[in-house]
Amino acid sequence: MTATAFDFRDVTYAYRGQAALAGLSFAVDLGERVTLLGANGSGKSTLLRMMDALCFPAAGTALALGASLTEAAFVDEAVNYAFRRRVGLVFQNPDVQLFNPTVLDELAFGPLQLGWDKARVKAAIEATLARFGIGHLRDRPPHRLSGGEKKRVAIASVIITEPDVLLLDEPTAALDPRSRADLVAFLAHGLGAGRTVITATHDLDIIDDISDRSIVLEEGRVAADGATLDILHDVDLLRRTHLVFEHHHSHAGPQAAGHGHLHDH
Amino acid sequence: MGEERSDARSAGRSGRGVIDALVRGLVEAERHALDAERLADAAGLLQRFDPRIKLVALFALIVGAVATRSLTTLAVLFLVAVALAALSGISPVRLGRQVWAGVLLFSGLVVLPALVLVPGEAVAQLPFVGWTITLQGLRSAAFVIGRAETAATLALLLVLTTPWPHVLKALSGLGVPAVIVAILGMTYRYIFVLMQAARDMMEARRSRVLAPTSGRERRRLLLTAAGMLLARTLALGTEVHFAMIARGYRGEVRLLHDFRTAPFDWMFLALALTVPVVITGWQL
Repeated sequence: MTATAFDFRDVTYAYRGQAALAGLSFAVDLGERVTLLGANGSGKSTLLRMMDALCFPAAGTALALGASLTEAAFVDEAVNYAFRRRVGLVFQNPDVQLFNPTVLDELAFGPLQLGWDKARVKAAIEATLARFGIGHLRDRPPHRLSGGEKKRVAIASVIITEPDVLLLDEPTAALDPRSRADLVAFLAHGLGAGRTVITATHDLDIIDDISDRSIVLEEGRVAADGATLDILHDVDLLRRTHLVFEHHHSHAGPQAAGHGHLHDH
Repeated sequence: MGEERSDARSAGRSGRGVIDALVRGLVEAERHALDAERLADAAGLLQRFDPRIKLVALFALIVGAVATRSLTTLAVLFLVAVALAALSGISPVRLGRQVWAGVLLFSGLVVLPALVLVPGEAVAQLPFVGWTITLQGLRSAAFVIGRAETAATLALLLVLTTPWPHVLKALSGLGVPAVIVAILGMTYRYIFVLMQAARDMMEARRSRVLAPTSGRERRRLLLTAAGMLLARTLALGTEVHFAMIARGYRGEVRLLHDFRTAPFDWMFLALALTVPVVITGWQL
């Protein structure tokens, strides 16, 4: 029997009077690699935050690693500690996540907050710096890093505690092609087997590499849930949920002049 | 018609001028910070010391400068500060620009009345007003300016030869509460993010300013920019708090110290601590 990482049933959540999640239900097993797909405003980021117990359902039930996702439950230090030890979230904007004065302090933050002893923290820092190839950045302040470096450090700062569940919010946003390719390769092959990885994105080019299953969100609800390749081939679904659009253009060249047709992008 | 166009051009220039000045200011601030970071990482005498030792030693020298009642001792301490700066790759020109001129201006203005108000032996008389400058007045002024210049130079040496994160860790290592150190660290960290946001905002605005803008319009622009920046700061603050909670933060900040001291550090500290001890002992 496979253990369940997340089990959400009829979950609703509103932010500033706007419904962000509207009766959303799905479950994710431990070890699954899942993509949350959706256009801007579909509720992906809110859902990821709820999965990381940073906000809680207004109605419905949500379970994460067996714990009930409610504010009351997370007042308990033991519940909070057990959850934070096992779940890590990489924020979309690395400037939000890199709040320490140096890369080294950034890597040390999570383990220290989780109460690791200093020798263990130092050993983990060295191993993580080597694993991510960021040893040369150890004493650099985050504002002196490039976009790709920031993203790599942000992921390293979460991975250092080896969480069972990794949540990523738009990991490829604002990355140059090289950094994007490196990151996708890492997410596809560098995380090791057995880890649950849930990635929110609308970057369709990467989802086949980083996930086996995709959940499409539309206006805070699950619009589709299935194998990533099946979702990618369902052009009607992708069009309806604004993940692809019809683009009309003319081919260049004298023979093609005046010739126009529709493309899916 | 020609005059109107010229007025319009000049108003347009002044409209862009405010934005340009703001952008220049932000770029200059970033350049200063970058320079300071480069200097702190450079090879030099003070850069080699353990930050905790350096913090205490320079503080001891400042105490010595403030405690001394001898102008000669003060002059020696000032020269020591200049020598330490030179051995750490900081030129007198930089010190003059960043510390001495400003301190001289402000402390000079403060002590100006003392020249004539402190009673004592007359050394000169001011023309027109006939006020008498006294030797004691000059001595008082020299003490105030000398102490301010020496203390400011020593403080700047700490900042210029130590990466800011190390200053913070040194404070923490010396018993300053971790929460204060964390707040100082985050302030430093996010100054750059917000400076970048302000710069982006101003550059976006500059790229769209074509028509002349009135003084009222420029004031509105500044107020709007300030409001936007405040809103962004609040939003960023909330997000950062979430990012901290996500990594296990529960209200207590824990820091990692990885400093190591060497005999060289302890010798410097012993020498520096001797200064205020000798000065106060000698004056008793």
